[in-house]
Amino acid sequence: MIFPLFSHDEFGRFTGQVLGVLIGMGFGLVLERAGFGKAENLAAQFYGGDNRVLKVMFTGIATTAALLGLCAAFGLLDLSQVTVPETYLWPQIVGGLLLGVGFVVAGFCPGTGVVAAATGSVDGLLAYGGVMLGTFVFGFFWSDLEGFYSSGSMGVIRLDQWLGVSFPVVAAGVVAMAITAFLGAERLEAWLAKRRGTSAPDVAPRLRNLSLVTVAAAAGIALFPSWTPAASASATPSAPVTLAPTALAEQLVADARGLWIVDLRDPAACAKATVPGALCRPAEDKDAVFVNDLAATRPLVVVADAGAQLPAAVTHWPGEVRVLDGGYAAFDAQVLTAPTLPAEPTLAQIEAFQRTTALQGYFTGAAPAPAPVVTVTKAAGGAAVKKGGGC
Amino acid sequence: MDQKPDRYWNPYLAGLALGVVLTASFLVMGFGLGGSGAANRLAIGAAHVVAPVATEANGYFGQFVGAGKHVLDDWLVYEVLGMFLGGAVSAYAAGRLRLNVGSTLGIGLFPRLSMALSGGVIMGFAARLARGCTSGQALTGGSVLGVGSWVFMMCVFAGGYALAPLVRRQWR
Repeated sequence: MIFPLFSHDEFGRFTGQVLGVLIGMGFGLVLERAGFGKAENLAAQFYGGDNRVLKVMFTGIATTAALLGLCAAFGLLDLSQVTVPETYLWPQIVGGLLLGVGFVVAGFCPGTGVVAAATGSVDGLLAYGGVMLGTFVFGFFWSDLEGFYSSGSMGVIRLDQWLGVSFPVVAAGVVAMAITAFLGAERLEAWLAKRRGTSAPDVAPRLRNLSLVTVAAAAGIALFPSWTPAASASATPSAPVTLAPTALAEQLVADARGLWIVDLRDPAACAKATVPGALCRPAEDKDAVFVNDLAATRPLVVVADAGAQLPAAVTHWPGEVRVLDGGYAAFDAQVLTAPTLPAEPTLAQIEAFQRTTALQGYFTGAAPAPAPVVTVTKAAGGAAVKKGGGC
Repeated sequence: MDQKPDRYWNPYLAGLALGVVLTASFLVMGFGLGGSGAANRLAIGAAHVVAPVATEANGYFGQFVGAGKHVLDDWLVYEVLGMFLGGAVSAYAAGRLRLNVGSTLGIGLFPRLSMALSGGVIMGFAARLARGCTSGQALTGGSVLGVGSWVFMMCVFAGGYALAPLVRRQWR
């Protein structure tokens, strides 16, 4: 898995910002060339005679879904590191309807308003200025809107997860749906042009076929790896990976901010004692949807009662999920409690003892137990000398 | 409309190019494109300059401003800056870069500008409510098969088609 590059720390923030400008330039250029710097080209979508918006947008979505599916199917892209907008059903339904209304009134959507403004369009500039004013309106009514804004929460969920199939399968479905929509749109354009006595937009069949066959081929190839038994086995959700208490403690010592730790036990128990740095589940949040607010760039470590069913928000969490082996009880016993050493310890046991004592001292503030004075047997001593000689 | 259609790209080819840009963004950054996020941050930044205390006290705006936060330091702001540059370069190269107001035939200049502004206000409000606009939610979220993004996309088309007959005169 080499993609996405940014989450693998291939480059820093500044390079990311430069890339942001470059990627944005590509986006602006394509939108301008598509004719989206002109309001009438965009608004025409809603009158049926010229479905340019549908064609560009759905070809773009189908292409991206197919290419991402292709990269994921061949192990190049880690889909769990790709940001997917969270689903909040009700505000997204109402927001979508309102945005459609604003779109046909203004003749631009926010992004095309930017591009239009860049081409010298005064109405494009005003539309984007309006979008800024709309932010103010939203902010002024925030206290009334706050509840609705978070209603219908389903967390970060993709159609493939929702349907229980692989990403490439849904991507292929999206491509098929887009091509069907295009055929319908072209028939509608021809029919309306005849009725209105105008000419339908140029279809340019060769370019259209070339574009759509490319997208369909990408989506089709992406389906191949999922036909092999090994790949389909790995596509099904496996049992969560566990993390030993001492391993968690060592990671916390190394980098306390490198992990998200969430305690899903009863909030009262969590408030009493939990793993250092863990977030307690809010009492009213039974399904633990609060984990959806955590960025998937860090692994999520779950502290739960032994044998407890993990909530969907955790199993569908986009990033890496680990379950603390044995829950808090094991962490308490293995990390927070002073270890004991058998009377005749082996070297390995002494090493483990020293490691655990240091961890216990780190988390509880207790002074580390003194290193035991042990007379080692000859065999073990030989090993120790050998180890020392390597330094 | 005296633009010759052949000066624009074939819509399917433009869509393919759009998909390649968006895929590049996902492969490089791990996230996609946006249009209204920058407007949000620019607006809040402007409000913060004029009335810092009130802006920080606001429950929504307060998430973006305050100690240690710089409201304009966000990837989407750089990306929209790029969109503006890319749009300008493209329009210049195509001979389309000039001061203009689209479609004033139906309703005249001032009503057209008022419509653009008021439509923008509705979209700005809607984009905050839906956590994104046609770029960030429908196009980008739709491409990675977000459930809410697809619901949003269908609703955008539904809202547009529903209101279109009422503003038909504007687009004659």
